[in-house]
Amino acid sequence: MFAIVDGPIEVGALVADAQRPDCGAIATFVGTTRVDESGGASVEYLEYEAYRPMADRKLAEIGAEIRARWEVGHVSIVHRLGRVDPGEASVTIVVASPRRGPAFEASRYAIERIKEVVPIWKREVWSDGYVWVGSQVGTRGSASERL
Amino acid sequence: MIKVLFFGAAADRAGTRETELDVRDGATLAEVWKLIVERYAHLAPMRDTLAFAVNGEYARGEDTVSPGDEVAVLPPVSGG
Repeated sequence: MFAIVDGPIEVGALVADAQRPDCGAIATFVGTTRVDESGGASVEYLEYEAYRPMADRKLAEIGAEIRARWEVGHVSIVHRLGRVDPGEASVTIVVASPRRGPAFEASRYAIERIKEVVPIWKREVWSDGYVWVGSQVGTRGSASERL
Repeated sequence: MIKVLFFGAAADRAGTRETELDVRDGATLAEVWKLIVERYAHLAPMRDTLAFAVNGEYARGEDTVSPGDEVAVLPPVSGG
């Protein structure tokens, strides 16, 4: 399953969906909002946006790349948009494989590819302004190019 | 006319998320970019960081557009 969602990701349900009798390993990667601190300020939440439907298609392409490279029984990638509060999941990748090696490798591959090719962007909203991650454009004086 | 979409930091700098441009049939993306910065000068410093998509697929400066196409201006992606 490849999906872009607006609300919380049901991580447990995604893992349950991956359980199969022909697979002996399920690797799960969950990316969550981390509270960074700098200059006396801290991250309050992250906010994500996407170019759809290109982003949906790119997630599915990553799934196809994984199936071409590793023996996997199940791949799901779900990315959340909008505001994601500290500790909450922004992305979840679940890979089931007969053995653990491909499951670990494929889940790592998926998150790295997401960060390379999927048109999704995040904004860190700090207590003193915001920054577009990757562009370093925003309203935070110390950490970004001012608008 | 083509539709131009802006995302992330590019939308911030352009001050809009969407516009339309009148371009000749067969214009290259490089030519489209010139028209974009004529209208949104604040985007110019971002040029080297940007990628482009035409109709939902990555495209390069020498690729061409036709009336009705959708061009997206994509800052460095930062999902995950």
